[in-house]
Amino acid sequence: MTAVIRTQSLSKWYGNVLGLSDVTLEIEAGITGLLGPNGAGKSTFLKLITGQIKPSIGTVSLFGEPVWNNVRTFARLGFCPEQDAFYEEMTGWEFLTRLLSLQPYSAAEVAARAARALDFVELSKDKDRLIRGYSRGMRQRLKVAQAVAHDPQLIILDEPLNGLDPLGKRKVIRLIKEFKEAGKTVIVSSHVLPEIEALTRSIILLHQGKILAQGDIHYIRDLIDKHPHKISVTCADPRRLASAFLSEPSILNVQFGPAAGTVVFETRDRDAFFGRLPRFVAESGLDVEEITSPDDNLQAVFDYLTGK
Amino acid sequence: MPIAEKGYAHWDGTFIERRLPWWPIARLGVRLAFKRKFFKPVFTVSLLPAVIFLAGIYMSERIEDFQFMFRGRSGNRLLAVDAAYFKTYFTVEGTLFLMVMLMVLAGASLISDDLKFNSLQLYFSRPLRKRDYWLGKMGTLFFFLLIVTLVPGLLFILFKVIFAGSFRFLADFPWIPLSVVAYSLLAAFFFACYTLLLSSLSKNRRYVSILIFLVYILSDVVYGIFNGIFHEPAFCLLSLKCNLQQVGAFLFRAALPYDVPWVYSFLVLAAVCALSGFVLKRKVRGVEVIK
Amino acid sequence: MTAGAMNIELKNIRFRYGKITALDGVDLALGEGACGLLGPNGAGKSTLLRILLGFLVPAQGEGRVLGYDIRSGQFRIRRAVGYMPEDDCLIPGMDAVTFAAYFGELSGMPRQEAMKRAHDVLFYVGLGEARYRPLETYSAGMKQRLKLAQALVHDPKLLFLDEPTSNLDPQGRTEILELIKDISSKKDIQVLVSSHILTDIESTCSRVVILNKGKVAAQGELAALKEIQYSLYELRTKGETAGFLQALKGRGCRVEETEDELLKVYMPPDMSRLEIFRTAEAGGVQIRTFVKSRTSLEDLFAETVGVD
Repeated sequence: MTAVIRTQSLSKWYGNVLGLSDVTLEIEAGITGLLGPNGAGKSTFLKLITGQIKPSIGTVSLFGEPVWNNVRTFARLGFCPEQDAFYEEMTGWEFLTRLLSLQPYSAAEVAARAARALDFVELSKDKDRLIRGYSRGMRQRLKVAQAVAHDPQLIILDEPLNGLDPLGKRKVIRLIKEFKEAGKTVIVSSHVLPEIEALTRSIILLHQGKILAQGDIHYIRDLIDKHPHKISVTCADPRRLASAFLSEPSILNVQFGPAAGTVVFETRDRDAFFGRLPRFVAESGLDVEEITSPDDNLQAVFDYLTGK
Repeated sequence: MPIAEKGYAHWDGTFIERRLPWWPIARLGVRLAFKRKFFKPVFTVSLLPAVIFLAGIYMSERIEDFQFMFRGRSGNRLLAVDAAYFKTYFTVEGTLFLMVMLMVLAGASLISDDLKFNSLQLYFSRPLRKRDYWLGKMGTLFFFLLIVTLVPGLLFILFKVIFAGSFRFLADFPWIPLSVVAYSLLAAFFFACYTLLLSSLSKNRRYVSILIFLVYILSDVVYGIFNGIFHEPAFCLLSLKCNLQQVGAFLFRAALPYDVPWVYSFLVLAAVCALSGFVLKRKVRGVEVIK
Repeated sequence: MTAGAMNIELKNIRFRYGKITALDGVDLALGEGACGLLGPNGAGKSTLLRILLGFLVPAQGEGRVLGYDIRSGQFRIRRAVGYMPEDDCLIPGMDAVTFAAYFGELSGMPRQEAMKRAHDVLFYVGLGEARYRPLETYSAGMKQRLKLAQALVHDPKLLFLDEPTSNLDPQGRTEILELIKDISSKKDIQVLVSSHILTDIESTCSRVVILNKGKVAAQGELAALKEIQYSLYELRTKGETAGFLQALKGRGCRVEETEDELLKVYMPPDMSRLEIFRTAEAGGVQIRTFVKSRTSLEDLFAETVGVD
C-alpha cells in the first residue's frame, strides 16, 4: 500500500521547547489512532502534517508532495480541530458554505456539497440556526462536517468525541468507519483509549516528542518483553488449573484473584499455554467460565510503554 | 496501637455555625489584594492624606511653634480645625481619587475572577447564601475604604481632643462623629457597590480595572464639557465626584460646592448602588452552578 | 444511618424551565456505593443534580437527600455533599492548601480544622508535593485533582462528580478513576458520577441511572441490567477456525463471525460449554478469549434511550 503521509526525521522546536523530535513514519489508508500523554507532541505533529507550521528539521509529504504552502494538498485534506472556533453569529449553513467557497467550486457545487455534508452528520434540520444556539454535540458534528465537505482523501480529527453523549459518539464512530470503507485515510487523536480501540487497531504512540510505537496494538503488545502476557481464567477449580500448569516452564507467574474463582497466569509463550489449555480442560472436565487477556489492550500498551 | 491506614480518613470534627458566614470571603479578598502588584505602594500613598491632615491638626494646636511658616498671615485662620477641615479631607479630589485607585487594585478582580475561573460553582455548592457572598465581597472593599475614611476621621477627632487638651472641639461640633461615620459609610457603600457592579460586567480583570478608573474620570469630564457648553450647574449630577463632594459638604454642614440640592446628588449615588444590586443579582446566579 | 434508608430518595419530581419540561416525574432511590448517571444531552441530568444539591425547588414531588428534605433542608444538604464540577475552577493567587482550606471553612469547618483537613485531603488526591505551589501553574490533571480535593475537604457523605475525566490524558484518567474507586469503596461515601464516557462508568460504578427526556429510563445494578445471555459466548481463536466452526455447527450451535475476527457461538440448551473446549481440542484450535456475552453499557444505553 502506498503511504499517504510520509515523514522523514521530522522535528520541531519552539525556541528551546521541544515539540517533536526525529519522527520518521509512514501512514497508510485506513484509520490510525494517535495517542500520547499531554505534551507528547501530538498537536505539533498534527500541525506539521496539515502544513500549519514548518518543521525545524526534516520533511513531511502528503500524497507524495510536500505540504508546506501546497494548495493542492490542502484541497485533499480535512481537519477537525479540538477547540471550538466558530463564528457564532453565522448559521451552520452559512459557516459551511463560506468555508467551502474557499475551494475552487461553483456556487451550485458549494451548496450541494454543504447539503451532503450536513446530511452526513445529521445536522440538516438545524442548518439555519445560529451556531450560538448549537449544543456541544451539534458543534462537534459541524466541525466534522467542515472537515469532510470538500471530500478530502485525508481527514484528521483531534478529539472528535469530546463532549458528545454516548449516542453522538456512536454516530461519529460510524461516520469514521464509513470514511474508512470509502478508502480514505483517517487520523484520530484521542485521550480516551477505549474509544480509539473501538475505531482501529493501528496506532501511533508519541511520548516526549518521539514515536514510542507504531502499528497494530496486539503486535506491539507482543513486542513488549518486559511485561509477559497475562491470561485470566475463571473456572470452578482455579487451584487445580494452576497446579496443572505450574510445571510448565513457560509460565512465569501465577496469581489468584482478585475475583473469586479466578487465576491469572503470566507467560511469554501464549502458544504453549493455549495449546495446552483445551487439552487439559477436555481431559479433566474442568468447567471454564471465562478466559480473557486483561493486558492485551491499548491501555496496557500505553501504561507499559510510557512507563508507569 | 493498631497501625493507621494510609489513604482516605474521615473527619470527626463538628461543623460550626459562623456568626459571620461571609468573613472568610472578606478575609481572602483582603489577602489577595495585598498580593497584587503595586497594591502596597498605592495603599501606603492612600494613607498619606490622613497623615498630612493629622499633622495639620497637631500644627493647629501648636500654632505658635509654627509661626515661622506663616509670614504675616494669621495662622489661626489657615489652620482652623473645624468642620470644614473634615469636609476637606473627605471630599478633596485627591482623597476620592485615591479611593478609586484602591478600588481598582483591590476590587477589580473580586467578581470578574470568579466569573472567569468558574469559582462561583464552588461557592454556591456550599451552604452559603448569595447574600453572604455579596457581604464578603463588600467586606473586602469596606475594609480598605473605611481605613481611608472612618479610621482617619475618628483619629482626627481623637487627636484634636488630645492635642487641644480639652473637649471644646466636641462641644463646638457635637455632630461631627456622626457625620464622620455617616459619610464614611456612605462613601464606602457607594464605592463598594460601584466596584462590584463593574467587576461583574466582565470576565477580564484588566477591562474592569480600566472601567473603574475610566467611568469615574469620564463622568467628571462629561460634566465639565456640558457645564462648559451650557453653564448649567445641574450637570454636576453627572459627575460621581461632584455628587460625593456635594453629599460630603452637606454632612459636614459646609457650603454646598454646586448649586444643586444635595438630595439629588444623594439619589444619583443611591441609583448607582441600586443598579449594582440589580446587576449583581443577575450576574451572580447561584443556580447556574451546573451547566 | 438506619439500615435500608437510602441516601437519595426522590418521588415524582417534576420541574419546568418556563415551557420546557426538564424533569417529568423522576423516581429515584439510591443507597450506598457508586452510581453512574447517564443520559443524552438535554435529558435532565443537570436539572436533577441541581435539585439534589438544593438549588432548584421542584414544582412537584418530594425527596430527601441524606435524610434532609430537598425543599427545607437545602443548606444542610450542601454541607454534607461534595461537588466536583466539570469546568476547571480555581482562584488565582492562592495555593492548593489555602484553596482547600478556604472552601472547607465556607462549608462550615472551623478554620484550623479546615487547614488540617486540607493537607490530608491534598495528600490523598496526590497533590501533596505540589500543595504550596500557585494554582495557575497547575496542569490539567492537577486541576482535576484539586477539584476533587475541595469536594472532599469537608468529608461529605455524598459526592457528585461531573465528568471527572474530561481533558485528562490516559495517565490522568487512570489515576482519577483509581481515586474514585478508592473513595467509593468506603462504605459510607455515596458517589454519583455523571459521565459520557461509558467505560469510565463501567469501571467505577456498580449501579446506573439512565435519564432520558426528563424521566428515568433505566435504573439498577449494572450487572443485572447488562443481561447475560447464558448461551451466547464470544470467542477468539487461533488455528484452524473454519473446521472448528463446522464442528460446532454440526453439534447444533449457531455461529457468527464478525469482521473483527470475533466468533459468536450460540449454544443449544442441551450443550455444555465444556464441549466447545473438546471440539477445539479435537481440531487443534486454541481458544484465546472466552466470555459470556453481555449487553455492553453502550447497547443498554442505546436500547433504553430508544434510538438507533
